[in-house]
Amino acid sequence: MKSQALQDLVKKIFNDDKVKQQFISNPDSVISQYPLTEHEKKAILSAHAKIGLATSNSGQLEATYSPDTMWS
Amino acid sequence: MWQNKQARLLKDEIEASISFLADDTGFHSLVKEALVKSKRGLSTRTTNDKPWPLLPLIVCEAISGKYKNALPAAAALQLYIAAGDVFDDIEDADSSVSIPAKYGIGIAINIATALFILAEKAITLLERKGVEPSLIMRILEVINSLCTAACVGQHLDLSPISETSFSEDAYLKVVGMKSASQVECACHVGAMLATEDQNLQNAFAKFGYNLGIASQIANDIQGITHGSDIIKPKVTLPVIYALSQVDGEAYNRLKFTFNQNSEDAPDSTEIRDLLFHTGAIHYAVVKLELYKQQALDILSKVESRITNMERLKLFLR
Repeated sequence: MKSQALQDLVKKIFNDDKVKQQFISNPDSVISQYPLTEHEKKAILSAHAKIGLATSNSGQLEATYSPDTMWS
Repeated sequence: MWQNKQARLLKDEIEASISFLADDTGFHSLVKEALVKSKRGLSTRTTNDKPWPLLPLIVCEAISGKYKNALPAAAALQLYIAAGDVFDDIEDADSSVSIPAKYGIGIAINIATALFILAEKAITLLERKGVEPSLIMRILEVINSLCTAACVGQHLDLSPISETSFSEDAYLKVVGMKSASQVECACHVGAMLATEDQNLQNAFAKFGYNLGIASQIANDIQGITHGSDIIKPKVTLPVIYALSQVDGEAYNRLKFTFNQNSEDAPDSTEIRDLLFHTGAIHYAVVKLELYKQQALDILSKVESRITNMERLKLFLR
C-alpha cells in the first residue's frame, strides 16, 4: 500500500537542502516529524545505513541493491 | 556445503522428471535449455546469488529439520517457472537469445506446454516420498491459484497503458500477482510439506510475498540505473513515484518518455538523472527495505517454531 507520510518525507528531503543535511547527520530527528509506521522507520534507517541517500548512480547502490530475483 | 548438496539433489530430481523425453528427436535438449539458464534448477553457473531454486527446500528444512520430501515440489516449481519464462519471452518478444527468438514461436509454445505438463507430473511424485494424496491435491491447488494470479498479472502488464498504470497501488497489485506470487508459492509449498500448522503455512506464504516484492523492486532500480526500463519503456515504481511528485516540464518529459505510444528514443541518461534528483530511486530503495523489514518481522514472529532461520536470512541480505 502507498504511504503518504513516506512519500512526503522523501519529497521533503529531496526538495529542501536544510532538511536533507539534517537527515544525513541525524535521520531520527527528521523521521520523528512524520506519522510513519515502525516498519517504515526501520526501512528508512536501514537504507540510510547502507547507502545514505540515493542521489546518483553509484557503485555502492549497484552493489547493495543488485537485482537477485527468482525470475529473469 | 549444504547448498551444493541440495542443488545437486534438485538437479537429479529435475533430470529424472525430463529423462523420458526421447532424446533422438532433439526435444529433450530443447526442454533442458529452458532449465539451464541462470537462476534455474539446472543452471551450472556458480555465483554468490541467492539460491532461489532451493527456497522450498530451505523453508521445509527450516520448519521440520528435513527437506528431501520437498524435492519433487521444488523440481515442479522449476519446471513451472521455466514454462513461464518461455511464455513470457513469446509475449514480450524483447530478447534475441530467447527460445522463441532462436527456434520460432511454434516450437517455443510446445516447449512451454511440455514444461507445464512435466511440472504436474513432478508434483505427483510427492506420493513416492510418503506425502498424503490429500496434501498433494492441496499443494496443486495452491500452485494453480498462484499460476492463475501470475497470468492475470501478466495480462495487466501486457495491456495498453492507462492512467491507472501510474498508480503505486496498481503497480503493487501487478507485481504481487506476476512476480511475488512465484516466491510466495515456493515458500507456501515448502511450509505445507513441513507442517500441518495453517498459521505457520500462511506466515511463510506472506514471508514469500514480501520477499518477492522486495526482489522485484531491486529489479526496477536496476532497470532505471542501467537504462533498460527507460529505453523499453516500462512503468515501474520509481517512475510512478516521480510522476506523483513533479509537475511542469519534468512531468511532461516523464509522461512522454513512459507513454508507450511515443516513437522517439528517450535520452536515458537525462531521464535517469531526473529520477535520481526527484528522490524516486531513493523512494524505491526505502520501499524495498520496507518489504524486507516486513519479511523479517514475519520470521521473527515464528522464530520459536523454526529450527534454522539463518538460511532463510540469506534471502534478506
